[in-house]
Amino acid sequence: MTKPLHLAAGTSLLWLAASATAAPYQAPEADSDGFTRPLSTLRFNPYLDQQEFERASLEALDIYDPWTGVNRRIYQFNQRFDEWVYMPAVNGFRYVTPDIAEQGVTNFFSNLGDIGNLLNSALQLKGQRSMEITARLLINTTIGVFGLWDPATLMGAAKHSEDFGQTLGHYGVGSGPYLVLPILGPSNLRDASGTLVDFGTSQAVNFLNVATASSRNPAITGVRALDARSNTAFQYGQTNSPFEYEKIRFVYDAARKIQIKD
Amino acid sequence: MKPLLLCCLALLPLLAHGKRIAVEDYAYPVTNPFIATIAGTPSDAAITLPDARDIEQNDYALALKKRSELPGVFYQGTTLKYRLAEQEGRAPLLFIIAGTGAHYASGKNELLKKLFYQAGFHVVQLSSPTSWDFISAASRSATPGYSPDDADDLYRVMQAVLANHPKLKVASVNLAGYSLGGLHAAFVGALDKQRRALNIQRVLMLNPPVNLYTSVRNLDRLVQTQVPGVSNQQTFIDGLMQRLTRFFEQQGRIEVNEAMLAAFQSSPEGLSNEELAMLIGSAFRFTVADMVYTADLLNQRGLITPKDYPLGFDSDLAPFMKRAMMCDFDCYIAQQLIPWWRAKHQGGSLVQMMNQVSLYALEDYLRDNPNIAVMHNADDVILGPGDLGWLERTFGERLTLYPRGGHCGNYAYPKNAHDMLEFFHD
Repeated sequence: MTKPLHLAAGTSLLWLAASATAAPYQAPEADSDGFTRPLSTLRFNPYLDQQEFERASLEALDIYDPWTGVNRRIYQFNQRFDEWVYMPAVNGFRYVTPDIAEQGVTNFFSNLGDIGNLLNSALQLKGQRSMEITARLLINTTIGVFGLWDPATLMGAAKHSEDFGQTLGHYGVGSGPYLVLPILGPSNLRDASGTLVDFGTSQAVNFLNVATASSRNPAITGVRALDARSNTAFQYGQTNSPFEYEKIRFVYDAARKIQIKD
Repeated sequence: MKPLLLCCLALLPLLAHGKRIAVEDYAYPVTNPFIATIAGTPSDAAITLPDARDIEQNDYALALKKRSELPGVFYQGTTLKYRLAEQEGRAPLLFIIAGTGAHYASGKNELLKKLFYQAGFHVVQLSSPTSWDFISAASRSATPGYSPDDADDLYRVMQAVLANHPKLKVASVNLAGYSLGGLHAAFVGALDKQRRALNIQRVLMLNPPVNLYTSVRNLDRLVQTQVPGVSNQQTFIDGLMQRLTRFFEQQGRIEVNEAMLAAFQSSPEGLSNEELAMLIGSAFRFTVADMVYTADLLNQRGLITPKDYPLGFDSDLAPFMKRAMMCDFDCYIAQQLIPWWRAKHQGGSLVQMMNQVSLYALEDYLRDNPNIAVMHNADDVILGPGDLGWLERTFGERLTLYPRGGHCGNYAYPKNAHDMLEFFHD
């Protein structure tokens, strides 16, 4: 994984700093059996039960999902597809491809994606970010040999993701009803439209001639799909909850809100 | 005679002393128990563990119930999955039981698996009896919480697992569990002493609750902390989202990894102890909601889902989830566990029940038994005053007490890892 080197070193020092600033913790005097009573350091609500957790979670779970029946059917189809077709294919792909080639494939498609990131970043009038993405594209396409290698990240130009759904959100377009797209997974009306626009743009730009080549040779699209799934950590059933659909819906909504504001 | 007796009484506390690790001898870097509970051991202070790709492992499933016994909406949970990491040839085997609500592949289970696999064990990872998959696919009462019955279900699962791998060369069967799984491990160990079907050699309990009621009440209380900025218009989740957003804005990019979380916590947007406690408490409340919903539905109690309500895989569950979210551990015990226990086991009061499901019930088995040990932290949030004293009196030298680590936060710390392996070493 791409981990910024300057941050990865000395995380425990950072945690020490963390406990020193935001959450100073002074362990109380230990009991005779050694117990230090951590809960006694907390401030609790003066009344018996203020239902703050209940209020917060009810509000957070309230996501507009008028087509929930259809969405849930597609969700179940996606799970079956993932378990029976998609993941076995991904595992096969990983098995036959050496790690270094796998990383190359990931980098290549990631570099292609930077075109969309750049356009949407520019549309949102984010000057500095657009410059950074331009620098990434230039460096990775040339020194990185058509994006197979990712020297830009090593040079400190971090990856940014901007899509047309985020651009729409940036200009105040609401999310609209929640949608589960076949194979692609959670989305909403705004982001699904954004995905279509982004796809159209990438076809029109035809960067490195990949769009044309893909339409002639569907294997490229196939590898791209395998690579995309391979880099998505989510697995169906891992929330281990009867409410997986609801939890994914909440996480998707929250993550998109943060991405749009960023 | 009398002076001798007095002398003995005076010596008694000394004899009963557990192995207490002094603060000076323990360099575990996280001093805040709430951060330790959430984030665990920072990677640069942790032991090196094998990569998942270097472990010979697979997920398997047990079909213990008929599919028709379960409602269609549970299409994900008709079988009980577990993970087996296999050594080549003959090796000791370790079952690991997950904590409250956690399933077989949860983070702590994975960590412990890697530790023991590296040390040459076959490892079987099991879900907690309070986890959704276990309640739906393996629990006979579908009402988790009564430890003797939960242990019985686990015992059946463990036997089924061994029967599922007849070619596995097992030198000895051992058992470990963390958090509630630690309590379950003790109950399974006691059960095995009667039934002798597995012949469990050693049992290790990691951060178990002593009095189950103290622990669940502590967890319930964690969501009652005072969080600043909460108002009629804004909930604590809104506040958290805003602070994350401001932090990412400042960083100029979004990235979620250990270093970034540590940087977030040391930034001005970092969380207070009350908010950290709120997060821990919230995670447990989501677990309770799953339990409440599942136990109610499978037993058709009509508290959350109306009786005979038609549920298909496309039914909207949000209303039921919201209703289940209103119920905490205490509410689950009062509304489902106690009524079921009274009907099935002729039970009486809450105090009586808590004596039967907590470690107190096993005192005879635990005392003077060299094959069972416990490791705990002095700043564990699930403990109450006096719990460690009880462990010390019962276990003596077989209690190892670390001065820090929060709830289960220090397993990847070298000293802890070493002590855990040492206990199983012949």
